[in-house]
Amino acid sequence: MLVEVGTMVGWAQTLWTGFVVTIELSAICSATTVLLASLIAVARIHPRPLVRGLADAYADVARSIPLLALLLFVYYGLGRVAQSYGISAFWLAVFAITVSEAAYLSEVYRAALQAVPAGQQEAAASLGLPWWRMVWLVIVPQAIAPSLPTTVNAVVGIVKGSSLASLIAISEATLAATNLVSETFQPMGVYLTLTLMYLVILIPLSLAGKALEFRFGAIRPADKSGRTRRRSLISVTPEV
Amino acid sequence: MSSGYILKYVLEGAPITLEIAAGAWVLGTVLGLVLALARQPGGVLGFGAASVITILRCVPPLVLLYVVFFGLAAEGITIPAVPAAATALGLVEASFTAEYFRAGFLTVQSGQFDAARSLGLSRSSTFRLVVVPQAFIFAIPPLLNSFVALLKLATLASAVGAPEVLYRGQLVYEQSGQITTVVIVIILIYLLVTIPLTRAISVLERKMQRSMR
Repeated sequence: MLVEVGTMVGWAQTLWTGFVVTIELSAICSATTVLLASLIAVARIHPRPLVRGLADAYADVARSIPLLALLLFVYYGLGRVAQSYGISAFWLAVFAITVSEAAYLSEVYRAALQAVPAGQQEAAASLGLPWWRMVWLVIVPQAIAPSLPTTVNAVVGIVKGSSLASLIAISEATLAATNLVSETFQPMGVYLTLTLMYLVILIPLSLAGKALEFRFGAIRPADKSGRTRRRSLISVTPEV
Repeated sequence: MSSGYILKYVLEGAPITLEIAAGAWVLGTVLGLVLALARQPGGVLGFGAASVITILRCVPPLVLLYVVFFGLAAEGITIPAVPAAATALGLVEASFTAEYFRAGFLTVQSGQFDAARSLGLSRSSTFRLVVVPQAFIFAIPPLLNSFVALLKLATLASAVGAPEVLYRGQLVYEQSGQITTVVIVIILIYLLVTIPLTRAISVLERKMQRSMR
């Protein structure tokens, strides 16, 4: 179990090439997740019941499907078709992770939108703003700051979740480690090195999330009665 | 291959999924309570507990599972796939559970703490007899939610060959080649279990909040 520091540094250098892919995958997924979650959250407060219903149904269904299951379904189910259109497994992973994580994050964003005082909406309506301009100019800007802590926590969740992409043959950090294990036959040392590297990336992010939570308070999704509790200590990042 | 056969084949993995989730839930709850209690007084112990929580939060569960399953096996400690998955997921879960308990402790009014102390209870018995039982009640809904999350996380055990729902699904897909049926079966199983459970938990949570007021 005891591994020399020199060996570990060598392993870390090999794993780093995998981490480049992990970071790439996570960065793209973070951007697409925030975008999709915002759209879904706005749809979930839309005045039309049909739009609301569809967005709610998406969030309910997507949150019920385990991320790994979704990844495998997309890979086995759409892999061949996607390949014929020149779409690689990497983008299938982006798709699966985004669909899954955005469902959780949309719950939080919706709560943030609903936490904006109703008077703001009434004021905007009395100015004659159409619904979408009211949302874009009045509601969304006030919901951004309280959503920041959970967004950072969601990014931590996305980096952790990206390790599952190793199971659909994307050579990110975890797959790089598995390959290294088959060369070195030292799973404990290699996987602990991998763990350390994930910690180096994620602990600062996670602490930043904590700091933002301290600054803005965490948001819990409103329960079905529509009440939103702002200053709760329990954050609702998906437990991936 | 009939879809009935596929459904039956996949469902045979359900007890394993349940076993992994239940094992992880028990470990996560116990360890989470210990971490939350250790964190209370601050000082070296509190800092240690807080660090463990942060670290567990930042390790991908799959990587932790590999450490427990492959890592320990190479060091001569062989743990079968199911208990290994329950251990790894339980450790991850503990970092979340600890927060639920901490929130619970904070919700139990400080007046209760002072009252218990003024009755002559020691610090530790105040926690044991007054704070923890009440905090536990506050933590029930999030603890139940984390069980639902663990049912989903249990799919990771397929990566080390535990024959849970997703693994059985992969096997029957390899036999039959019927991806659509397998996907629909697994999605339906998860929808039918998690959505009613989640709904029931939020009803319970609302009832509890009303009775606390």
